[in-house]
Amino acid sequence: MTALTTAALGSVEASLAAGVSGVPLAVGDISNLFTSPTELASVFIEGLAKASLYLMIASGLTLTFGLMDVINFAHGAFTMYGAYIAGTAVLTVGVGSMGAVSSVGVFVLLIIGVFVLLALLGVVFEVALIRRLYEYPPIYMILLTFGISITMEELMRIIVDYWNVNSGREAVGWSIPREETVPEVLQGTFDVAGISIGGLHPFQILLGVLTVAGIWYFLNETRYGLFVRAGVEDDEMARALGINIKRTFTVVFAIGSGLAGAAGVMLMWSPLWRVNVPLALGVLLPAFVIVIVGGLGSFKGTVVASVLVGMLDALATWAFQVKVVTFTDVDQLLIFAILVVMLILQPRGLFGVEGQGDHG
Amino acid sequence: MSPESARSLPVPSWAGQYLRDHALHALVVAFFILYPFAYDLFVGQFGLIAETVLLRPRTMLTVLWLGLFAMSFDFISGYTGYLSFGHATFFGIGAYFVVLGYNGQLPLLPGELPFMTLLVLGGVVAAVAAVLVGLIAFRLSGVYFAMITLGVSEILFVAAENFDFLTPGGSDPSDGVTPGTPSGIETFTPELGVPLVDALQVEIGAFGDTSLLGIDLGPIFNETSAAIVVSYFAIGAFVLVSYLAMQRIIHSPFGRVMIAISENEERAQAIGYNTFWYKMGAFAISAFFGAVAGGLLVGYQGFIDPQNSFFFLVTGFALVAAIIGGLKTLVGPLFGYFFLEWVEEFLAREGSGGGLQPFLEQNLPDSLLDATISGGLTVSKALDSFMTGHGEFYAGIIFVLFVLFVPVGLLGTLRLRFGTQSLSKHVSHRLGALGSETEADDQ
Amino acid sequence: MTLLELDGVHTYYGESHILQGVDLTVEKGEVVALLGRNGVGKTTTFRSILQLTPPQEGSIRFREEELTGKDTYEVADAGIGWIPEDRRMFSRLSVEENIRAAVPNNASMSDALELAYETFPVLAERADQRAGDLSGGQQQMLAIARGLVGGNDILLVDEPSEGLAPKIVTDVGEALLSAAESVPILLVEQKLGLALDLADRFYVMDHGTIVDSGETSEVGVDDERLRRYLSA
Repeated sequence: MTALTTAALGSVEASLAAGVSGVPLAVGDISNLFTSPTELASVFIEGLAKASLYLMIASGLTLTFGLMDVINFAHGAFTMYGAYIAGTAVLTVGVGSMGAVSSVGVFVLLIIGVFVLLALLGVVFEVALIRRLYEYPPIYMILLTFGISITMEELMRIIVDYWNVNSGREAVGWSIPREETVPEVLQGTFDVAGISIGGLHPFQILLGVLTVAGIWYFLNETRYGLFVRAGVEDDEMARALGINIKRTFTVVFAIGSGLAGAAGVMLMWSPLWRVNVPLALGVLLPAFVIVIVGGLGSFKGTVVASVLVGMLDALATWAFQVKVVTFTDVDQLLIFAILVVMLILQPRGLFGVEGQGDHG
Repeated sequence: MSPESARSLPVPSWAGQYLRDHALHALVVAFFILYPFAYDLFVGQFGLIAETVLLRPRTMLTVLWLGLFAMSFDFISGYTGYLSFGHATFFGIGAYFVVLGYNGQLPLLPGELPFMTLLVLGGVVAAVAAVLVGLIAFRLSGVYFAMITLGVSEILFVAAENFDFLTPGGSDPSDGVTPGTPSGIETFTPELGVPLVDALQVEIGAFGDTSLLGIDLGPIFNETSAAIVVSYFAIGAFVLVSYLAMQRIIHSPFGRVMIAISENEERAQAIGYNTFWYKMGAFAISAFFGAVAGGLLVGYQGFIDPQNSFFFLVTGFALVAAIIGGLKTLVGPLFGYFFLEWVEEFLAREGSGGGLQPFLEQNLPDSLLDATISGGLTVSKALDSFMTGHGEFYAGIIFVLFVLFVPVGLLGTLRLRFGTQSLSKHVSHRLGALGSETEADDQ
Repeated sequence: MTLLELDGVHTYYGESHILQGVDLTVEKGEVVALLGRNGVGKTTTFRSILQLTPPQEGSIRFREEELTGKDTYEVADAGIGWIPEDRRMFSRLSVEENIRAAVPNNASMSDALELAYETFPVLAERADQRAGDLSGGQQQMLAIARGLVGGNDILLVDEPSEGLAPKIVTDVGEALLSAAESVPILLVEQKLGLALDLADRFYVMDHGTIVDSGETSEVGVDDERLRRYLSA
């Protein structure tokens, strides 16, 4: 096993399968990762890309859950709606046949458009429903948003059903096939200095970085960000200083919802997630895990936890691809294992803030 | 404060309530006993219109085991205030234990054990699992407790979808497991009833016994399969016994400590109770009955898959049922499921009949049904896509309305009206404060 | 025109009846002390004015405008500042951010910061530190600074000397005295000497009502008129 330096994952798989098939965990396989810098680099880049996706799905939640104490179970449904809106738009415009530049242009417009649409939807929900329950025990917030979530999910099934029947596409099912939405240039992998990089990865990493920068800027450099941080610590004092906490929370909820939707646009292209109704729950649970592992009330914690989970996920996926482990959903198992281990070792998560998420 | 004064705290005048509860119990049991007869009668008499508004007995079976599961959820979440957000863990353990135990896939256990033995052993295993989870989880509270239990159930869910060990025959574990599949293992014939008394045992399942207590139900029921009715009574009796056992515990000194924990755990500790072990005990009991519910499902259905056992939404809908019926009312969640299933069946026919859609299909004029809304979509097709299989849409809306307008649930509202409970006591202090900081405030 | 006027205010915490008909007024240019033992409802009076614990009955008027029923932030916007017991810093925010949070939306931020740092130079030195890391006295200064930059027409000051060393108490007293030149103050203070030094008038509260009032010049620290309501 010496000629692995230039390998894409596929050839690694082939050569390893020949060498150590049937052994559940062979030391030789793992050491490969560390003796081959390019292999390590592609796993690292994939890890960053995954981290970006995790960050995007968790960032909206960390705002509403970590800061406002609103445990938003409809978060995943917002993401799913974002994915469907984007998917439908892409199908309508026909991105698949466009060139690289224009398809990325459409994509950027979509991210902005979906963010705005779902932020508006968030405002409607916050003002009409969520706001009624701030005075209630927080369990009611879980219940309310869970109810909203199952309604939204099933409504989407009805809409898709209706649309399929109406357009004679009965065979399509619930999901929008990824092949119809991803521009060709981004579908394959390309090599840079022998490092195999998925076409989408740089794109995802860029968006992840932009998300972190945007939220950091919002929280630390804007007046609303200041209000949010003040209100989180002591909402009575904030109100007594003239801060309209209600409106601040509406803004935060809108941003959280918009981010959830924008994440959906990104996930539309990810081979693991794609546009479908189960996306809602599939996104929700990992997002919760990341927020908890990072620590409630800490945006920094969410970023670190995303990177941690993304890297481990990439490693696990690599291990699966080279057949070190034979377990399809190893990434999902891993996420919840991280949650449990973290809660055992450090109940407040990596950067948890005293008093948040507790009963007192 | 002395323990005596603590005892008088949590349940005011519970003796009076106990009597009232028992009068109600009799009524409720009578309702459930008469239901299949009434269904048969009404459907025989009124045909489609009765089928439209009445829950099918097959669905009533689901109400029974899911209702038991939701009760076990309420037992820990409602009464101690610790939200067991991964309660599906225990439902799944109970269900899978019956299958794997019967198939002889578990260490130390011979295959083909009687169903009831497996049911009880599965409950015990679940209780042990609850203690293991509790050792970690009860060091935490609030949303962290909820999340760690959820984490455990999700791990088991993923494992159940992937472990080839579960399906030695080579089928995909995510498609589920079936008792009696390995060669050399006899067909699964689950018997439920009074142990050691043959006459009081029946085989449950869609192809199980059709006679009960020596009476052949076949000729009596025209609209329903007699096997369903026999299973309904056998499982119903088991659920009733389980309910009475849980209710007895709630009304015992042990149960009063549970309620004291939900209202103010620090005070319960200050009085001298070791709340940790009370919580563990309550969690184990709750897990036992949760697992029994899962085992009953397998008993009837002869099959289980991860989606219907370890999956997060199994807990989710128990929570929905518990809220609709009323948290901290124990039996309320069963009524919650009854209501929920009724709404779903009425507005969203699943597969084999019942509900509003067939009624409309038959009674609306053809000219209307065939009218085109747009493109290839007719009224008939629109009805079909809105009213078939989308029960969760309506359940979700109703649930949201409940949370906003009937937050204490159906039974909770009744009990408030009849004054056996106060609103402040209704929502556990601990559950209420979930995720928030202390609500104590200065003057 | 009376600046602040409470008329028959009744306030409850859950089922306990804390304020049982409070009447008091504060005029422009005054410092008024609200005296009384712990738990008689002084802080609740402040919370009622701020609508943090809205009164069930009675009226609270500020410049003849009714406050009851408004949101707390509207009360604050109307020009009522609160310097609460325990300071209530945003401890995870920096000193400067604490001040920024208190500045009204349409006011000049640089003027506000200049005012705060001029009044309390120590805050300027520590502008980027977490407020939670300040000493008790510095926190009290920051709390007063937040009140000053809020463009307020009255300050409700609750136990400003609590938990502070005597030397610091003097500083805080001086700061309040200089604040009082530009803005009226309603003051709750356990240290009777300090309260009487600062205030022009006083009210004495007991069991949720006002039981005595007068000019501070009429009474001394050992006056029986005050002692009977203040000693434990």
